[in-house]
Amino acid sequence: MDPIITLDHVSFFYQHAKEPALRDVTLAIEPGAFVGVIGPSGAGKSTLAAALSGAIPHHHRGALYGAVHVAGHDTCEITLTDIARTVGSVGQDIDAQMVASVVEDELLFGLENFGVSREQIEARVDEALATTGIRELRARQIATLSGGQKQKVAIAAILALRPRVLVLDEPTSALDPGSARLVFDTLRAINRDHGVTIVVVEQMVALLSEYCSRVVVMDDGSIALDGAPREVFAHARALRRIGVDCPRVTRVYNSLVERGLARESRPCLNVDEAVRLVESIVSAGSEQRAVPVAAPHGPACKPMAGGTACSRPDPAGAAGGSAPATLRIEGASFAYPQGGSSVRDLDLEVRAGEIVGVVGQNGAGKTTLTKLVNGLLKPNGGRVLVAGLDTRSTPVSHIARHAATLFQNPDRQICQETVRDEIAFGLELHGTPAEQARVRAEEAARRFGLDPDRAPFALSRGQRQLVALASVVALDPKLVILDEPTSGLDYRECMTVMRAVREMARRGSAVLMVCHDMEVVSDFADRLVVMAGGRIIGAGTTREVFSNAPLMDAASIAPPQVCALAGELAARVSPRFAPITEVSDIVATCKELIHHD
Amino acid sequence: MINVIDYVDGATFLHRLNPVSKLALATGIIVATFLAQSFPALIGLLALTLALGAYAGVLGRLASLLRVLAPLALLMLVLQSVFVQGGAPLFAFFTTEGVASGARASLRLLGVALPLVLALMVTRPNDLANACVEVLHVPYHYAFAFTTVLRFVPVFSQEMDAIMEAQTARGVAFDTKNPLKKMRLMLPLCIPLLLSSVAKTDASALAAEQRGFYLRGRDSAYKRYPMRGADMAACVAAAALVCAGALL
Repeated sequence: MDPIITLDHVSFFYQHAKEPALRDVTLAIEPGAFVGVIGPSGAGKSTLAAALSGAIPHHHRGALYGAVHVAGHDTCEITLTDIARTVGSVGQDIDAQMVASVVEDELLFGLENFGVSREQIEARVDEALATTGIRELRARQIATLSGGQKQKVAIAAILALRPRVLVLDEPTSALDPGSARLVFDTLRAINRDHGVTIVVVEQMVALLSEYCSRVVVMDDGSIALDGAPREVFAHARALRRIGVDCPRVTRVYNSLVERGLARESRPCLNVDEAVRLVESIVSAGSEQRAVPVAAPHGPACKPMAGGTACSRPDPAGAAGGSAPATLRIEGASFAYPQGGSSVRDLDLEVRAGEIVGVVGQNGAGKTTLTKLVNGLLKPNGGRVLVAGLDTRSTPVSHIARHAATLFQNPDRQICQETVRDEIAFGLELHGTPAEQARVRAEEAARRFGLDPDRAPFALSRGQRQLVALASVVALDPKLVILDEPTSGLDYRECMTVMRAVREMARRGSAVLMVCHDMEVVSDFADRLVVMAGGRIIGAGTTREVFSNAPLMDAASIAPPQVCALAGELAARVSPRFAPITEVSDIVATCKELIHHD
Repeated sequence: MINVIDYVDGATFLHRLNPVSKLALATGIIVATFLAQSFPALIGLLALTLALGAYAGVLGRLASLLRVLAPLALLMLVLQSVFVQGGAPLFAFFTTEGVASGARASLRLLGVALPLVLALMVTRPNDLANACVEVLHVPYHYAFAFTTVLRFVPVFSQEMDAIMEAQTARGVAFDTKNPLKKMRLMLPLCIPLLLSSVAKTDASALAAEQRGFYLRGRDSAYKRYPMRGADMAACVAAAALVCAGALL
């Protein structure tokens, strides 16, 4: 079959840009494919999506070289509206692309514009709602929907137009893992049952490896790797150089192959495949000896290739009270007057030097919890003590001297004209003399490789997050509150941010972290608090929580791949796997089981 | 997040009227309010608006808007009383004519603001836009711009709230009691808000074009908005209100 979209040696320079955003890209999208696009930020993923959907050359200004053909037509020669008849596109900012206040009207807009006959409209609306699984939302006001529901409405509105290709730019970046999977389930149904070709820009490698038939890795405006997920994720070293994560189970496979423990064959893409692989190599390796069931012991503690050291052994042991609690929440409750995610009976302590993760679905009350801690909300009942100060009787600006918050969206934080002023601004707010603040600001900027004279708004999204982080680090706060610190960041930026956070904890800050990315939580948190329905329904060390299947189910959280793998292996191969949360420990335990039994 | 001008679902007579007749009624009340000179007429028109609001089940929302407008109306009363001097002196610099003129001004302020808001509360923005295009032959571009503004008001106010929260958490003293100081602190925040609104508007324009915005004509809307008997009656009532306002 002829490709439905082709890019032939395409380069694109945004207006005033010296460097191209796309460099000589040649790509053919086959009808019926499910293509995932991944790459570090600034690699040209969104630009590629814009070129596929006709926004380049028709909306974004700049210079386009080469040719893009959509269903046989050069996109420079037909209008954006005509391209849109073939390629439907869903942008990053869902709120901005909605045109109506009610779901039904949102779907009608495109159908009306393209002149779909009145007899067909009802059937099309109903079919699009049914395919995306949101029939019951038809009469709802869009403003009252959750992020995941809005995303599905946006997809349904495009789907109703029956495009042959659907291009989506990071559709899950604002969603919790459960909602993200549901969106991908929807995309899979559209792809499989309706034959719509899907091109999706996405950062979560676990989703790409599971749902896509083809993965395109972008690096610096070019296509670095292109192939089936199994082929692409086998290039662990190249991916690491580019700054793209591998699914953790693929890392297990890659490490086993590197150490000669497994023969090079098919890289694992999901937990089941990894379980089968480990089962086969362990049973083959210990065929001569019967495997004695060893008592479980702690995992070997080695820094892994990515630089992630293993979590400290059981910091919850400090509960005896060696370190003072920097944050103490005693039976705190809060309900919004107009309704919203209220929280009840929260009890929590975070000690100096500790990273405590808060996990749960959207709407579980995690953000409400963080606002109770930084004083933006005052508890209706119970107490919140930050560095000994009761938030109810202390002004927020005073609490801010002890508790610094890093928000999900750095653009709400940044308001100064240079990086130096931005970082110094926070210091000056807390009474540091201007001269000293500037010196400390420059130090902090340099630490993160930021030019103090640059304008923050001219930086990339990831670098703006680093500016916001540098302002937090410069304050040297007793308590750090992180609200989705890694969303919208690529793998490398994510690691930079999280290592800086861990460094702050080492220097004695207490860290409270709300995070959707279970891999990040598993790598960096010492303890976890699980929230659902406005309550804390469980707490414990990261390992305890992730291996507690009933608790994970109650909170609708999928444990990270390594924990799921460890759980399966503990049940089927050896109980030694049970406490493991790291790739390196899985590999080390395999090695022990094969060689030292 | 509740917004004053958000549509409130319902099935009352007001909800079911053609959006254009609702606009006509609101306009009638507003024009009459401008023309009317007597206190009974001004108070009567305001009472009519509130009664319609109560009937449509949005009195609570209207009342919350009244609370916001009350200080403005009071300011109007005081200023007008000071600037318009005449009649018998009451106390300090207040005169009978001044106070009467001030009272009219503040009643007009409320009487003009509420009917339009009421009309928006009982009409879906899309219906309003489509009906204006179909019945009044307003070009769709303008109607779309209008609904987009309505849609963006809550989006931007949420964005501003989030920015204020982020800055407060950083230690900017927004919890100050001094309103002037607060204004001065808010000024630099306009930059992030402006940047995000430019980006949003751009994304919005692109998304609309990709969904065939430029193909849209007057007959595109799936729903039809005929003017029925009740709508004619509402328009006649609006005209009657204007006449009554001019006479009273």
